[in-house]
Amino acid sequence: MKYFPLIWAALRRKPIRTGVTFLSVTVAFTLFGLMIGLNATMDMMKQRAHADRIWTLARFETTGLPITVARQIAELPGIKKNSVMIYLAGYVGDPKNRAFVIFFDDEYGKIFPDQVPPQQADLIRHDRTAVVMNRMAAEALHKKVGDRFTIISPQTNRADGSKNWPFKIAGIYDDIPQFPGPMISANYEYYDKSVPLAEQGKINEVDSLAADPAQAAALAERIDSLFANSGTPTRSQTEKQIYSQGFGDINVEALTRKIALIGLLMIVMLTANVIAQSVRERLAEFATLKTFGFSNTRLIGLVMAEAAFPSLLGALCGLVLARWLALQLPAVLPPGTGIPAPTMTSAVFLWALVCACGLAMASTVLPIARLSRLDIAAALSRSA
Amino acid sequence: MSAMRQIAIVSLLNFQNLRQRFWQSLVIVAGMACVSGVLLSLLSVTEGMQQAYQRSGDPRNVIIVSHGSLREDNSSIPRDQARIIMNAQGIARASDGSPLADSGFVTGIPVLSKKNGATAHVRLATFGKMGVTLRPTFHLVAGRMFRPGTHELMVGSMAQSKFKGMGVGDKVTMPNGQWPIVGMFATGDLLDGILVGDTEPVLQAMRHNSYNAVIARLEAPGTFPAFRTALTKNPALTVDVMRLSDWNMRTSADSAAFSHVLIYGVSIILAIGALFGCFNTMYAAVETRGREIATLRAIGYGSFPVALSVILEASALSVAGSLIGAMIAWSLYNGVQGDLGWDLFKLTVSPAMFGMAILWAIAVSILGGLLPSLRAARWTVADALRAR
Repeated sequence: MKYFPLIWAALRRKPIRTGVTFLSVTVAFTLFGLMIGLNATMDMMKQRAHADRIWTLARFETTGLPITVARQIAELPGIKKNSVMIYLAGYVGDPKNRAFVIFFDDEYGKIFPDQVPPQQADLIRHDRTAVVMNRMAAEALHKKVGDRFTIISPQTNRADGSKNWPFKIAGIYDDIPQFPGPMISANYEYYDKSVPLAEQGKINEVDSLAADPAQAAALAERIDSLFANSGTPTRSQTEKQIYSQGFGDINVEALTRKIALIGLLMIVMLTANVIAQSVRERLAEFATLKTFGFSNTRLIGLVMAEAAFPSLLGALCGLVLARWLALQLPAVLPPGTGIPAPTMTSAVFLWALVCACGLAMASTVLPIARLSRLDIAAALSRSA
Repeated sequence: MSAMRQIAIVSLLNFQNLRQRFWQSLVIVAGMACVSGVLLSLLSVTEGMQQAYQRSGDPRNVIIVSHGSLREDNSSIPRDQARIIMNAQGIARASDGSPLADSGFVTGIPVLSKKNGATAHVRLATFGKMGVTLRPTFHLVAGRMFRPGTHELMVGSMAQSKFKGMGVGDKVTMPNGQWPIVGMFATGDLLDGILVGDTEPVLQAMRHNSYNAVIARLEAPGTFPAFRTALTKNPALTVDVMRLSDWNMRTSADSAAFSHVLIYGVSIILAIGALFGCFNTMYAAVETRGREIATLRAIGYGSFPVALSVILEASALSVAGSLIGAMIAWSLYNGVQGDLGWDLFKLTVSPAMFGMAILWAIAVSILGGLLPSLRAARWTVADALRAR
């Protein structure tokens, strides 16, 4: 610590240069935080996915599933709980204000207590036209508890021939990070009793809970083979399998990592240049220190500290900025895109720390090489 | 001495001693190469998709979807309405007198990706009698056309290369059995990423009784407003009518909008980093050239040419870097098959995107070079000569 005044003096020599270095490191780590933070969120989603929950959908989306499929699944040994749901796609007012409602039965809330809070699920159980939604959906529709609204469904006819679905908002709950996007939930009975007779008893999805999580994947296969030759073949997967699939061919994790790395590389060049410049300008100063008896190691330590200061501080500020930006993201991104907000977990901070140290070291390699070859006499005479 | 001449001479001087500041200058070049490399690589996805959408569609073609639909797959046209639409006035006729209009259906079929075996969906679209006539670029590459009314499919060239089991002769699992792929086609647009079957057998297999959309060719492009009014005013129909080109433009813009928020967000953050690099480099350059600048000022050069020369140098370096980045993006991604959602297409780094990379570079260099150039302009002769 007794060398702090020396380092401080070096940083203050060219305050603009130090300031800009700090700012550019901040920018690089803002990007780093957002990118690696996104990976952290996706990792968290994967980890929180339940191995014992099985999602069964129609293999061909247009055929839908009859509710009898759910009854047959419920009878399979090893299935503990079973629920059904159907979705309604439409819009509120203008076709641009897309809205998506899932209608589910009473069991659904027990299988997905982490998706819809149980007391909220209770609210729609007792009232057919009631819906509950997360904050994101309420904000997109500009609604509050007690408000009424109508969803127009271009593709789904009601028994009375209309396409208008009136709803009343019974509850609004906080967004749940691992289920990103707006979510509106309603009672399955309401849907089923509203559609024409020929459409009744249809569902989009059966969600089941396996008694033994280790058997869930095998159970999913069993379900598919049970319906393989029926008129409505199914596609069943455990939640764990679904979440570990990612986004098709785009490897999001590799992509975000690459972008974060490019940002850092760009900044390494900049800081390396700044440190090199600063050392070059102060060769006489270093020569003097050497004359006083400073060892090479100590000089190297001084230069490294000079690089580490803006790197570490910039990394910290960058992550704080990234955290703030991540909180603003849901308001900026169009709703329904399903991209989760980045989270600055402690792992992200740790990686940032490692990278900041790496940055400081990488940017001092060349100046240090020069310092250790420093010829005192030559350096002093040049300054004279 | 004219200002232009002064600017030219000072800039020339700058570029001549650039070699002494090689490593510092590289910061600007490399920084901007990173920015435009990332920007153009990411944009190649949305650009490729939008170009594929915009290629699909004869200018006389129109699309009729149910009112309020933003995508073909959430539109629904019942049979009775489809019949009214196909017989509407203003639709061109084929040589046999039947209307050049086709009602179609789209759905997804679960498939496995060749690359990593992951489950994915391929889009299955259907053609009726006029399906091929309405799509002039459609041509057979291998095998034969499906026979109308049968359980046969054809595959687009890109879908064939992306998914498993999509070769001619392979069988696709449909709800009512195995349907053979009898031919492969290419169109040069979005259709290359899909499967095609005959409308009625597919609807039957999918247990569906309504179409998604009707595509029709008008007698003349100018009759569109009248055609649209006639259909939207018809009380028996609840439809929207759009030129197919406009519809494709809107659909692709909608799906690109979300990606663009992310792409431009990331690139702007990178550009801010490059901007700081540019600022730092030019600031250092101005400081080290203090004596030279002062000499120029002393022999009568104005402060404006000196300031401008700083920005010109920054721009030249940053445009060079940006072009390097753009070339890297182009060589890595242009023409590579890619996908976004269910759409398959070729990634594209277009000449316009090179232009954009240059504009970004100029913007970064002006913003980053502004303060250093003012600093250069403000060197007084006495100050500068004293500086080491």
